[in-house]
Amino acid sequence: MQFVKLGLLAGLAVGALVAATPASAQVTLKVWSIDGNDRPGIADTFSKEFDDANDDIVVEYRYIPFDELVNETLRAFATGNAPDIVSFDNPDFALFSSRGAMLDITDRVANSDIIGKAEYFQGPLNSVTWDGKLFGLPKYTDTIGIFYNKDMFAAAGLTEPPTTWAQVVDYAEKLTDPTHNVYGATFSARAGEEGTFQFLPIIQMSGGDANKVNTEGAAQVLDLWKEMIDNGWASRDVLSLGQWDSTGTFNAGNAAMAISGPWEIDRMVEDAKFDWGVALLPTITEGGERSSALGGFNWGIMSTTQHPDEAFRLLEYYVSQEDRLFPEFGNLPARGDIALPVTGVEKKDAALKVFQEQLQYANPRGPHPDWQKISKAIYDAMQQALTGQMSSMDALNQAQATIDTIFN
Amino acid sequence: MSRFFNALRDGVGFDILLVGAALLFLLALAGAPLLYNVLMSFQQVDMFTLGVLFRPFVGFDNYVAVVRQPEFWLVTRNTLIFVFGSMSGQFVLGFALALFFAQKFPGAATIRGLFLVSWVMPGLVVGAIWSWILAGDFGVLNVILKNLGIIQANVVWKSDPNFSIWAVIIANIWLGLAFNMLLLSVGLAAIPRDLYEAAELDGANAFQRFWTITLPMMRSTIGAVLSLGLIGTLQQFDLFPALTEGGPANTSNVAGYWSWQLSFQLYDFAKGATVSVMMFVLVLFASIIYVRSTRHEVRG
Repeated sequence: MQFVKLGLLAGLAVGALVAATPASAQVTLKVWSIDGNDRPGIADTFSKEFDDANDDIVVEYRYIPFDELVNETLRAFATGNAPDIVSFDNPDFALFSSRGAMLDITDRVANSDIIGKAEYFQGPLNSVTWDGKLFGLPKYTDTIGIFYNKDMFAAAGLTEPPTTWAQVVDYAEKLTDPTHNVYGATFSARAGEEGTFQFLPIIQMSGGDANKVNTEGAAQVLDLWKEMIDNGWASRDVLSLGQWDSTGTFNAGNAAMAISGPWEIDRMVEDAKFDWGVALLPTITEGGERSSALGGFNWGIMSTTQHPDEAFRLLEYYVSQEDRLFPEFGNLPARGDIALPVTGVEKKDAALKVFQEQLQYANPRGPHPDWQKISKAIYDAMQQALTGQMSSMDALNQAQATIDTIFN
Repeated sequence: MSRFFNALRDGVGFDILLVGAALLFLLALAGAPLLYNVLMSFQQVDMFTLGVLFRPFVGFDNYVAVVRQPEFWLVTRNTLIFVFGSMSGQFVLGFALALFFAQKFPGAATIRGLFLVSWVMPGLVVGAIWSWILAGDFGVLNVILKNLGIIQANVVWKSDPNFSIWAVIIANIWLGLAFNMLLLSVGLAAIPRDLYEAAELDGANAFQRFWTITLPMMRSTIGAVLSLGLIGTLQQFDLFPALTEGGPANTSNVAGYWSWQLSFQLYDFAKGATVSVMMFVLVLFASIIYVRSTRHEVRG
């Protein structure tokens, strides 16, 4: 009997609690992103702030690991449980925007007092655009350049960083020192997105792009890279090293030049016991066409949302806080109108200047709904050429054949 | 009614109930996904049809497309090398160790127990450790081989197309060794001692005893170990992302990893399903051998 009474009491208490919560029309927004797992990130921090500041909106934030984000969202979308706002890596965005899974926000952005489309860099903006319409906004961005060890350069009688790929090879030969375990250069030619991330800019410099990869220039640079590997001026392990590990060998003094991006800077300031600098990604010919990789994530509202107005308000809040991206989270805003504050660390400030300049030349991967397949064709060709299984041109031709079936 | 319950309690009904529960479990958790997978390999799948069962039927288009992929034959070749390389390595070394520990010497059982460590470790951890061991420039395996004078220059295990698949095989042999050894040890222990004593009295030497007693008596165990080994090897996944990601240029890509790549990296779920159906046919073959080799055990 006692239990029944207790149960009734508990039921009453729960009922009272439910009644006590404001009955006003509360809107719940679901936000998914990879932020906020091991340390506070952009999406989780801003979402919570918005949730606290707005009584009429509840923001439910969910962290999803990087590798599962696209699959999880695909599944959720297919079963009608998609989030309201999601943040994708930029090459994954077109998979959703091209199929009508993202909300067209062209008009909303045009009418917004907070969001200025003109402020964004062209590359990041292209990655959220499909068919001339805007389906999202860049969240933050990054790119790649070439880091170089100034002490080793001085010892080898070199003063300036390389500006062409031929120079990279020339310098790499001079800087290689097997007795001290020093390679001339390191980069990432891995079988994965990182490999494409580093090689696609070369294709773009040569006048090609994701839909046209078999260019003379790209084959030339592949030959140059192969020459470095074959002669031991770059480790053969660049074929399996990711960018973070590859640059680790630069920080340890085992490579004199490294291709990587601004995410390396903080660790380099800590680890590198030498003078270093960053230069723009080399070009194919002196003064030739520039390009660089475009990294970073995008925001998007999913087309299935029940609350597009509230979701857009949240998006506006994210954008209004973007001057905090660099000081608080170390990410570069994808906009030209936010000046990065001076950190006082001389090498870091100099490096950031270079990367900000480099961002103007950054081109997106795609955008294309089948980006992952295109990417695999590109990194497979790169690896076939670098391992000597095929000539550079043959490998790129084979990739082109695969890519043609995707585009046509 | 009571007859029904009686039958349920101690008649045929009870047997059917037990078998039925297991069968239902199997059908729901193994049979249905399997059929779904086969169905998917004949359909056109994209993100909008991910949640529905009946999608546009495309016949054998997916199969044709998979075979036409430039990497198809390379992946097939790699899969065969990987399966036979891993299995023979695991089996031969496992058998040798099992025989070794079957000798009675102090600490034999304890040391044999220690070998299980490799089996307990998650594949990803094993992969990460072997990734360091096999590293080209600073890997410990290269240092050892160099100091022994076996190689002159560093072997870049993970990045050289001639070695990349072997890098994964080496790690996989280590990973599967303990399992093979354990099963074979059990088989060895089940052979009656008096057979050996009798053979010894008749003047059979060690090799003859192995060939005429150990091997024939182990027939069903060996069959089971080999077919489980085949299934385990085809299932191996963790080592690939940790070591080579199938690279360079697919030279270490195998069917299992390729199927995952197609489905979950390239979001081509139909082709991923197609590759796994092809693999299923192979595993089915192994299962038949396994069932045949263990059949008489059930009768006994």
